[in-house]
Amino acid sequence: MNASMKRALPYALWLGMALCIWGAFFYAPLAAAFIGQSSRILFFHVPLAWTAFIAFFTAAFWSAVYLWGGRKARHDRAAAAAVELGFLFGVLATITGSLWARIMWNAFWNWDPRQTSIVLVLLFYGAYLALRSAVADREARARFSAVYALIGVVVTPFFFFIVPRITESLHPEPVINADRHLDMEARMFQVLLGSFFTYTALFLWMHNLRSRLMALAERAHAD
Amino acid sequence: MELGGLGWIFAVNLIVWTGLFVYLLRLGRRIAQLESTSGKPEENER
Repeated sequence: MNASMKRALPYALWLGMALCIWGAFFYAPLAAAFIGQSSRILFFHVPLAWTAFIAFFTAAFWSAVYLWGGRKARHDRAAAAAVELGFLFGVLATITGSLWARIMWNAFWNWDPRQTSIVLVLLFYGAYLALRSAVADREARARFSAVYALIGVVVTPFFFFIVPRITESLHPEPVINADRHLDMEARMFQVLLGSFFTYTALFLWMHNLRSRLMALAERAHAD
Repeated sequence: MELGGLGWIFAVNLIVWTGLFVYLLRLGRRIAQLESTSGKPEENER
């Protein structure tokens, strides 16, 4: 990819996200079982949750690369940046989900299994961030964090994908339901899929910036 | 909710997204500037 294509990427992302936002409000139809316009929050809430999941798996990936790929500091930074962003996207997914719950279930919080699951995931990764801030030695911090993030490979899919399918919940069925069928109107799915891609691209951009910022901060601290 | 209301929410979303976008763009430029003055990270790490 040449330099001018790289420079154009952020603008392409702006356009993609603007299109998804437009699609969420004007292109996608309303979902039948939802109250009023509340189904439109789907195009924000679901991609945010999806991106959080991607972020946590990215953290696990870079943690594995750190442990078995030479213990390079930049891999540790990449893992930490991914967890930070995953936490941010997870919090935003929880907030948007609560707004939707207020409309549909008449309460921001119901201790629904889906709601509880995401809180448990956020607590898990909140502990990762606490762990990092508690260990002063850089290499020990990186090692402990990497092992912890790899445990997330088990924890995260369990709470994201297994719990919703084995518990009774008020939450709408997953996009691909228990019969392994896509149960969504075509235009809704188009906007949702577009949102998945744009939010993932946004995460990758923010991850790149965050990792580089951490490197600069480490260097400034060392000087 | 009437179309007018949706239009307002759409506009607010677009403004928020554009604001975030501009912030990230400027942050990226600032980071690149700092990296060029302090050297690329890989040069200083094992």
